[in-house]
Formats: sequence, structure tokens, C-alpha cells
Amino acid sequence: MAVDRQETISALYAKRPRDRFVRASLWLFFLLIVGSWIAGRFSLTEILSARRLGNLERFLNDITPFDLRNTDWGITDLFGWAAERMSESGWEAAGATIAIAVVAIFIASAASLPLSFAAARRLMNAEPFLPNGAAPSRARRFMWRAFVLLARILLILLRAMPEYLLAFLALALFGASAWPAVIALAIHNAGILGRLKGEVIENTNARSLSALRGVGASRRQISLFGVMPLVLPRFLLYDFYRWESCVREATVLGMLGFASLGAVVVDARTREKYDEFVFFILLGCAIVVVGDLISALARSIVRRAS
Amino acid sequence: MAPEKASALSIKAPFFIGRRGAVLIVFVLAAIVSYFSLGLELKTLWPSEGGRSIAAGFFSRAFSPAMHAEGEFVPANDPPLLQIAAEAAWLTFLFAAAAMGLALLIGIVFGFLASSAWWRGDPQGAESAAVKWLRRTLAPAVYVASRTFIAVIRSIHELLWAILFLTAFGLCDAAAILALALPYGGYLAKIFSELIDEASPTAAAGLRAVGAGSLQVFTFGLLTQALPDMIAYAFYRFECALRSSAVLGFFGFPTLGLFIRQSFNSSNYGEVWTYLYVLLLLIIVFDWWSGAVRKRLV
Repeated sequence: MAVDRQETISALYAKRPRDRFVRASLWLFFLLIVGSWIAGRFSLTEILSARRLGNLERFLNDITPFDLRNTDWGITDLFGWAAERMSESGWEAAGATIAIAVVAIFIASAASLPLSFAAARRLMNAEPFLPNGAAPSRARRFMWRAFVLLARILLILLRAMPEYLLAFLALALFGASAWPAVIALAIHNAGILGRLKGEVIENTNARSLSALRGVGASRRQISLFGVMPLVLPRFLLYDFYRWESCVREATVLGMLGFASLGAVVVDARTREKYDEFVFFILLGCAIVVVGDLISALARSIVRRAS
Repeated sequence: MAPEKASALSIKAPFFIGRRGAVLIVFVLAAIVSYFSLGLELKTLWPSEGGRSIAAGFFSRAFSPAMHAEGEFVPANDPPLLQIAAEAAWLTFLFAAAAMGLALLIGIVFGFLASSAWWRGDPQGAESAAVKWLRRTLAPAVYVASRTFIAVIRSIHELLWAILFLTAFGLCDAAAILALALPYGGYLAKIFSELIDEASPTAAAGLRAVGAGSLQVFTFGLLTQALPDMIAYAFYRFECALRSSAVLGFFGFPTLGLFIRQSFNSSNYGEVWTYLYVLLLLIIVFDWWSGAVRKRLV
């Protein structure tokens, strides 16, 4: 009896679901991480060397607010100092950071709509939701496959490049305004949103679409009146989810030299005002937290409404 | 009012603005306000003459990336361009992989500590008074502290971490790795804790019913359910780490960003395209890999 059970257990163990590719990937992932520490000869204790610690000590001395140094300061003095920094440039930089993210996600959201439809194979084939009748010719099927493939390649290219790099290139072309930051964020996020939304369209499993096709609706009519109402809540959720990451990214794009938080951080660093430098980095953290809260609120409203 | 509401065929008034519509309108209004507050103008989207000449020079090289170093003065002892590009790509990858290792450690430790399931006790109350007391006092404190900690390290962008560590320690490998590992660890911890807490409690209840201890319930009842999604997310983050690692080069670390900036600033656009294509290749390979793993797991 006991032997029997043991055998059943081993048989079940042998039959457990597993995927060779995933297992190999996990091992490779692990090896890459371990290998990188060996190959790069990285060591975290490097920052504890005497020279680096001296550097750190000087830095830590410098981050006490300048006006308060050598005074007997309390928490109200600190708040007063912080309020001064905020009215000097903090509020403006924070506002610009949020505004850049809002405009960028608006453009990305609009641009990702046609892209997501173009990348959805369910909709973009020779006969979407084929009811019955003549099967499409091979050439037409091939054309549609090529169309979807092109759309997907475009999406990969859009999202492949990091925002900061795109902003750096755009800065040279458009000059110093908020456009380079907006354009960089919009390009990258249009690529990401296009793929996410395309997947949503692929996964809508509604009979209504086939029914629409059955009564003779065209591809455009199915898309506008069948798919759009089904996927719009999901799309909005994704827009807000990506907006969070836009806010986070917008805090640093200013380092390239236009109005956002990054600009004041770099400015404080070059003036060697390390107290302000650290303060503005913490402000960046606060902006991202506020952005997350706004986005969570908006998403919960959208979710509750659906 | 009530009888009408009960009717399944109740029809909304046309142009009725629901909650979702309100969110949409606020979104559009916010975009308009932001547009004007930033002083954006459509006409500045047309590049100036200088911008146009840079654009022409830059894009004309898109299909003819440089195979050898460009520019009037090339130091004789410089390695060939393709070797520089390969080394930069290698370092981009090394920093990303090393940072992912550290980030996974942070993510697993704080992901567990920040999940409420980790602190949930035995509902039957079969635990000693001392354990119960610890659970009431220590657990909430550690839970809140770890949630705050991961929110803070995640909310500071990796480039802000980088410039902070650069200023505090000077240029060194550890600064780059820490700058990537802290925010990524925060992201992993956040998602890990959410995945564990979202796992269905049925399996856990079943295990508890047959007498499994708290740790066994957590490991075999909850963690096993969350694991595929956790792995998928870790792979996705690896791909993001590559992008961030490349960008760290803009701050002087020897990754692809450094060479892109240098070549662009000295107008060697052919070289820029070489580095861009190398970066693109690196990212597309990992994009495909993480996508393939995710497709099988989720």
C-alpha cells in the first residue's frame, strides 16, 4: 500500500507541468546574474574605500541646509527652509514635471489607438470573424499578415529606445522647450500602449463581434462600434498606468536642460548646493508618490464605473 | 424611481456622462491646461534652421551607420569602432544583470515583508502567547516600514539615484549598480507583495486544514501560485534594466549612452547610428526573450 502511494507520487511528479524553455530561461537568468558579478569583478565594498568614504563624509556635511548650519535649528526652521526652496523653484519644477507627463500621455494615448488596432491580428485579417462563404485568397491573407507584422515592428521600434536617449536626440532637433521631453515620452509610451492595447483587442472574446460581422458590418464598423466600447475602460486603465511611469520619467528628463525637476537638481549640483540637491531629489520622490496616488484614484473610478 | 431601475431594459439618457466619462473629460482638460502652462506651441515643432540641418545630417546616416571611427582626429591607439561598441554593449548588459541580482534580493526580502499574507497568523489561533504578542506589535511596524521603504526607493528615479551616488561616492561601478538595483528592487518588491496577496486563499485554507504550519502555508499555498507571475515580471524588469543601464552612460559610466552622447556631440552621426543599432539589437533580443517566457507563464 505504502509502496503504491509512493509510486503514484513519483508518477505524478514526473508528469507535473513543466516547460523546457522556461526552465532553461530560468537557469540562464540565474547564470547571467552570477556571471555578471564575476565577469565585471564588481564589489559593493568598493564604496567603502577610504577615498570614497572621505567623499561621502564631505557630502553628508554639506547636505544640512546652509542657512541652518551652526545654528540650533528645529523642525520648524527646516520647514521654513523647505518652503523657501519650494517657492524659489520647487513648485514650478514640480508643476512642469506633471504637465509634461500629462501632455505626453495624451499624445501617446491618441497615437496608440490606430496602432493597437493595426497590430491586432484578430481584426486585421482578410476576413475578420469569418461567418461563412468564400475563403479569402492566399495573396490577400499574406497582405494582411504583412500589414500586422509591419505594425508590430513599428511598435517594437517605438518602445525600444529609452526615453532619456530619445529626449537627448530630440533636444538637438527641437531646441530648448518642453517639446523634446514630451515627444520622447510620447514616442516610447505610444509603443508600449500600442502593444498593451493591441493585446486587449486580441483578448476580447465577445460574440457580439461575430454577430456584427454576421449582419454585414464592415471591419471599420466592427472596430468602432463593436470593439471600442468593449475595450475603452481597459484602455483608460492602461493610460493612467503608463502616466505614472511618465511622471517618474519626467522628473529626470529635465537633466538635459529644460524645465522639469531634473533641471533644478542638476543646477543645485553645479552650484555645489548639496542641501538643495538632496532636497530636490526628495521632491522628485514626492512627485512620483503624488502621481501614483492620482493615478490610483482615477483607475479606481474607472474600474468602479465598469 | 426604484421600479424603473429594476427594469433590465432601462435606457440611459443620451449624452449621459458617467463616472468614466467624467474621468475622460478631466483627462482632456488636464492635457489642455498642461499644454498651455508649459508654453508649448505647435509652430515650435517645426525645427529651426540649425535643428533642421542637424536632423538632415543625423537621419541621412540612418541606413549607413559607421563601421570605422569618424571625425577628423581619431587617436591612433583607439580600438576599432565596432570593438568599442561591442564592449559598451557588454558593459551595458553587465551592469543590468548585476543590478538585477541585487534587485531580486531586495525584491524577494521586502516583497515578503510587505505582503500582508506573510504576517497573517493561524486563524485557528494555535500559537503561543508570545508569538501572538509579537504578531500584534512587531508585525504591523515591520509591515508599514517595509512598505514605506519600497515606496521611497522605487519613487526616486534611477538617474536621480545615479547622480546622488555620483556626488556622494564619485564615479565607480558600485554607484551604477546601486542606482539601478534600488529602484528596481522597490518595483520587484511592490509587485511581488501584490502578487502574493492576490493569490487565491483556497489552497492556503486547504493546507491549513490538513495541519500545515504558517511557513508551509505561505510557501506551498500562496507562493507557488504567485511564482509564475513573479518570474514573468522579473524577466520584464531585466529588459527595462538594459535600457536604464544604457542611459546611465550619459552620466559618465562606460555603457552605450556615454558613446552615443560623445559621438552625437562631435557630430559623428554615423557612429551614433552604429551604437543605436547595437542597443536596439540588445534590447530586441531581450524583448523577445522576456516576451517568450511571459507568454508561457501567464
